Amino acid sequence: MLRRVSPHLLLRSLAAALAIGGVGVWLATGAHRGWTRTSEVEMRRDEVTGIDYPVRRDKFTAGIEFPFAALGGAALLAIGAALLRPRERSSGPAGTP
Amino acid sequence: MKNQLRQLLALSVLAGTAFAAPLSFDFKDPKGVNNVQFKLDAPLESITGTGTGISGQVSFDPAKPGATTGRIELAAKSLTVGNPMMGEHLQGGQWLDTAKHPVIAFELVSLANVRTQGGVTTADATGKLSLKGVSKEIKVPVSFTHLPDKLGARVNDPKVKGDLLVIRANFEVNRSDYGINAGKNTDKVAENIQLSLSIAGSAPKA
Repeated sequence: MLRRVSPHLLLRSLAAALAIGGVGVWLATGAHRGWTRTSEVEMRRDEVTGIDYPVRRDKFTAGIEFPFAALGGAALLAIGAALLRPRERSSGPAGTP
Repeated sequence: MKNQLRQLLALSVLAGTAFAAPLSFDFKDPKGVNNVQFKLDAPLESITGTGTGISGQVSFDPAKPGATTGRIELAAKSLTVGNPMMGEHLQGGQWLDTAKHPVIAFELVSLANVRTQGGVTTADATGKLSLKGVSKEIKVPVSFTHLPDKLGARVNDPKVKGDLLVIRANFEVNRSDYGINAGKNTDKVAENIQLSLSIAGSAPKA
């Protein structure tokens, strides 16, 4: 039987996954400090003319906005989780209403 | 008799040199080697890109390189950068507006300070650069490398006869001069655009 996961735990888990995933993708694609790229240029030389020419090929490289966006999203989810956290019942001293 | 033949031969060579027609080089490049690279400084990283849609004709006489004339065109839509969103902005109305202005062209007007050494001619080219509907006269340091009988090697067919002409130029233009987001976003993208042109044209021989 499935246990019902409380919303604040779900949001905290999502926040952690987003932060780890975003930073992880950025690190895995080379920790590029510029903007995200979906292609890169490799220079080759034409032997007859001596011209250096670009050959563009598809390659995803996550830019610096990637971990920042992931951490920003994770922070929002964490705030949401904190707001949804069930408050503990306060048991006052004996005799108080 | 031998002397007369020699004189005739020498005369014909002289006449051939004196009246040699300039060669017409076509810069349409099916191999995609001809390219222009551009670079703009920006705070996070320089914006660099390439364009390969080059065409045009240049009339070049190896005996009189100073009389070179011609026009080189670049299909503005062939300009690409690594970031797709940046690429869309580049092609859009605020920047190059390639839908309305699909061609960037340089028309060579004259050459000055022409120097030739070992098949390479360097000069200061004055010409009209047309970009985003604005034509302005600019001066560009340029080099011409004449490669006689190299067309066959380039197309991997020794039966094809002809010459190649390689043109190289490095220069800067100010984007505001051409109404490219003039005076705006100067904190994000530099006003100066550094351009590097490397192109080869072919002149087949019949």
